[in-house]
Amino acid sequence: MPKIETKEKSFFNYLGKSYSDDELEEIFPVAKAELDDHSEGVIKIELNDTNRPDLWSAIGVARAIKNYESGEVTEYDFFSSKEQSVDNEGRELQIHDAPENRAYSIGFAVKGHVVSDDDLLALIQSQEKLCFNFGRKRKTIAMGIYRSDLIQFPVHYQGADPDKTSFQPLGMDEVLTLREITKKHPKGIEYGPIVENDATFPYLYDDNGNALSFPPVINSADLGAVKVGDDALFVEMSGPILKNLILAASIMSCDMADMGFEICPVKVIFDSETEFGKEITVPYYYQEPISCTMEQIEKTTGVKMSGEKAVSSLAKMGLYSFYDADDEIIYATVPEYRDDFLHAADLVEDVIIGYGLNNFTPEMPHAFTMGRLTPAEELGRKVKDILVGLGFQEMMYNYLGSKKAYIDNMEVSGEDYIQIANPMSENYEYVRPSVIPSLLESESISAHATYPHKIFEVGKIAYLYPQDNSGTITKNSLGFLAADSLMGFNEVSSMVNTLMYFLRVEYKLESLNEDNRFISGRGANIISGGKKIGIFGEINPTVLENWGCGMPTIACEIDLDEILSL
Amino acid sequence: MDIDVKNLHPLEVRLLRHVNLGEAITADRLISELDYKVGQCNQAFSWLVAKGFLEEVSRTYRVFYELTELGREQKSNGTPTVRIFTYLQSNGATSLPELAAALGLEKKDVGSAFGALSKAKVTKMNEEHNAIVIGTELPQEETIIASLLTKGLEGSFEDVDLNNEEKKVIKKLAKKRGASNAAFKIVEKEDVVFELTADGDEAKKEIIKANITGEELGNVTPDMLSSGSWKTGIFRPYGVDAPTSRLIPGRHNPYGNYLQWVKDKLTALGFEEFDGPLVENEFWNGDALFMPQFHSARDIHDVYRLKNASHSKKIEEPWLSNVAQTHENGGSTGSRGWGYKFDHEFTRRQVMRSQGTVLSAHQLTKAKNPGKYFGVERCFRYDQVDATHGADFYQTEGIVIGDDVNLQTLLGLLKLFAEEIAGAEEVKYVPGYFPFTEPSIEVHIKHPVLGWFELGGSGIFRPEVTKPLGIDAPVLAWGLGIDRMALMHLGLNDLRELFTPNIESVRTRRGN
Repeated sequence: MPKIETKEKSFFNYLGKSYSDDELEEIFPVAKAELDDHSEGVIKIELNDTNRPDLWSAIGVARAIKNYESGEVTEYDFFSSKEQSVDNEGRELQIHDAPENRAYSIGFAVKGHVVSDDDLLALIQSQEKLCFNFGRKRKTIAMGIYRSDLIQFPVHYQGADPDKTSFQPLGMDEVLTLREITKKHPKGIEYGPIVENDATFPYLYDDNGNALSFPPVINSADLGAVKVGDDALFVEMSGPILKNLILAASIMSCDMADMGFEICPVKVIFDSETEFGKEITVPYYYQEPISCTMEQIEKTTGVKMSGEKAVSSLAKMGLYSFYDADDEIIYATVPEYRDDFLHAADLVEDVIIGYGLNNFTPEMPHAFTMGRLTPAEELGRKVKDILVGLGFQEMMYNYLGSKKAYIDNMEVSGEDYIQIANPMSENYEYVRPSVIPSLLESESISAHATYPHKIFEVGKIAYLYPQDNSGTITKNSLGFLAADSLMGFNEVSSMVNTLMYFLRVEYKLESLNEDNRFISGRGANIISGGKKIGIFGEINPTVLENWGCGMPTIACEIDLDEILSL
Repeated sequence: MDIDVKNLHPLEVRLLRHVNLGEAITADRLISELDYKVGQCNQAFSWLVAKGFLEEVSRTYRVFYELTELGREQKSNGTPTVRIFTYLQSNGATSLPELAAALGLEKKDVGSAFGALSKAKVTKMNEEHNAIVIGTELPQEETIIASLLTKGLEGSFEDVDLNNEEKKVIKKLAKKRGASNAAFKIVEKEDVVFELTADGDEAKKEIIKANITGEELGNVTPDMLSSGSWKTGIFRPYGVDAPTSRLIPGRHNPYGNYLQWVKDKLTALGFEEFDGPLVENEFWNGDALFMPQFHSARDIHDVYRLKNASHSKKIEEPWLSNVAQTHENGGSTGSRGWGYKFDHEFTRRQVMRSQGTVLSAHQLTKAKNPGKYFGVERCFRYDQVDATHGADFYQTEGIVIGDDVNLQTLLGLLKLFAEEIAGAEEVKYVPGYFPFTEPSIEVHIKHPVLGWFELGGSGIFRPEVTKPLGIDAPVLAWGLGIDRMALMHLGLNDLRELFTPNIESVRTRRGN
């Protein structure tokens, strides 16, 4: 979940008034936000909607709250669209021989507002959130902010020769080639891998040939060094998915307009045809209108509301909408900074939030349905009761463990065990193939606990099983273990016999000689219905030694799914 | 004084009944008059002194000498000194080893006895290194030894009864420990004299008044029952607040009990349980839930992938085609879709189930309408393990399918869970976000102990989730954060404790 922080002063300034913490907690849910912390003049906000990048800035949250409280939609007049373009006053961004994997760059300029400390922090944070979360760590969106008064338009975006193109990057004293930047500059080392295997690297420069940046890595030391006091900026985004870039530019331009800047559009001329044409003027509005029927609203909410109520509810959510009373349809215009309306259901949700969740009345579902446990759960409970009656303590274990626990200590090959490809640590590298190692782990750390130890678990195990579509199988399994100075085969055999009697399972035993976990000749396979359904015996002293256990130990494991299928 | 004489032990009762104020009470007296054993005397004294019924009036240290086996042997055969003297008188010069062999004595005993005789000028070593007699009679000490041995034969005697000469000799003959190679054993005794106190006398009167004799019956024995002897006796009452011994019972795991209780609650509310394998593929784990394959929404479910069995062989149809199309352009769901090329290789990639909702998705393909289903499922997350994150943990969730279910029935259901399962006092609903539901609702509850917290997430499944899986009716989906309530129920504050392998910790754990 994205988290942002903002100076209390600027946030209340954007909101137009101050709020107490209680008031913030009360109002934040309309933006799916939570007050994370408010101390020393800084407010921290957690945003839950991963599909609403427009809310990942203090200005964005403030806009949503202002809309909600006023019921008035914020309007922006600097957007061009397919039908009409705003005057770009000659500013252009031209793309030539775009790099293969990052074909697009777009941008807009701003002026008329002096960048303050707080503004700079806010801009950097917005840039960060958009590129990191929405832009997947700059993979799909890289953003640069430049001092537009130093730029000679048109700006050029080009796939450049990484070894022949060079400039002085921000934070360094020397001129480096693009390739050198990916090797030497901290940002190059961090973000260089996004482009380092491509034939040409993205390069942004102005008409005088001065470098703006090497996106998605680093800005130039002069044009790209924005600081407090600047009042004219150029904002540029590049990446492989044009639509994402346009949305990010829309969000940034609305934020900056709310901050007090005048937005100055830039015409972008692509080097080939795009889904939006060969050229667009940015900020650019591309969203399609969205609609839903009153019937959909009623079906989803359980409430019959008026079209007017739906329209006013949407206004609180920042959506301009129109009610067609003849067809009972709501038509809404998607705000410039949003692109999360995939289905009518999304519009209905905004109606619901605008209407206010607390204005709906909780109701019970009417239909009769039968409650029921799974057969495995029912059998598991029966088995647990028998084991408890036999004096056993029920344990519950994690299902991930180490190679040492499941393989090395158990003296088995582990060839049919499920291995995790990306373990967080070697402690969680394998999926539990049996309950017995879990029980032995208990034994190994519990020598101080009064003996006898009698423990069990009814739980799941999983291992490789090529016959299945997944190549694996998950089983419900019973494992039990007992350790005491006089604990041996006869004891465990009696326990198995008692368990099987009460489960009404007829079984016979086959001597088990080739299982390293048990003492040879003192282990048995439990056979029922011609199938092996379990195993038990005296744990091999080698295994006990591996675990550091000092008491004679028996163990048993029974496949409960096999018992269910008998 | 308030005395509960019913709780006195028979040893105490019999003693108290037997003695009077001002009388000296000693162990010897109890042994001879009441037939107590020494240990029983000590028990009775210590209990009664502790109760203030007896007080110690004097304590005398006494030393006794007791003949040992060796002493008895020396009494009948003579001491080594006497035997060496007699032998040498009869047989003339003899070497010490020959003496030892002839008399059946240890060489060292022969050596020390011969040394003592020589010192008293009764024997000496001649030039051939043989022992010879040079005196005519034994040293006087031997006479004293002989008389002590005789005295010892009659029974142990006390130090104070000996004269000074005897005292000097007995010191050499007696040992406190390891007395088997000495003629006498030193026995030390303390004679403690007790007297009845005023309270003790009071207790005695109470005992007599209550007609307690100390002959009451103790343990019920099979013999007692078969002979009927209990019919003529009275059972002694026991002190009911005596410390008890620890028992280790067979027990269910309290966390397991809690989960079982939740399952029972849900079945009582008409939900049918579902379950499934631990290994899933990306299709069910995310795609079927309309989480775009390459969207950041998928980052919130960082997953464990499999090294072996890395991909499923196939994805079931028609679900695969339906879902792929829905992602690409919305298919027939009325959605515009995510607008990207669905990756058919990625969708087969296998992961450890990262969210319980996977099983809800599976259930949609076989669910009835109307239907209510739930699962308590183990899930796996790629998270650093700490007090609030486990490598694997339980999630509880479910779905409600019905032509007439809607937001208001969802709120009703959440209210029911909040009250029935979490014991909430107040319930609050706030908009939430989950990739697979629209609308999405979080339910917050005010708990009597924890205050406000998020009980769970819920919503109505997006049509992009239900339609491709063959469901045309609305489906409510909900999940509850059961872990937090389980911790509270068990009085714990670390998730890792729920799955502890520590036997003692689980044995002693109680639920609330």
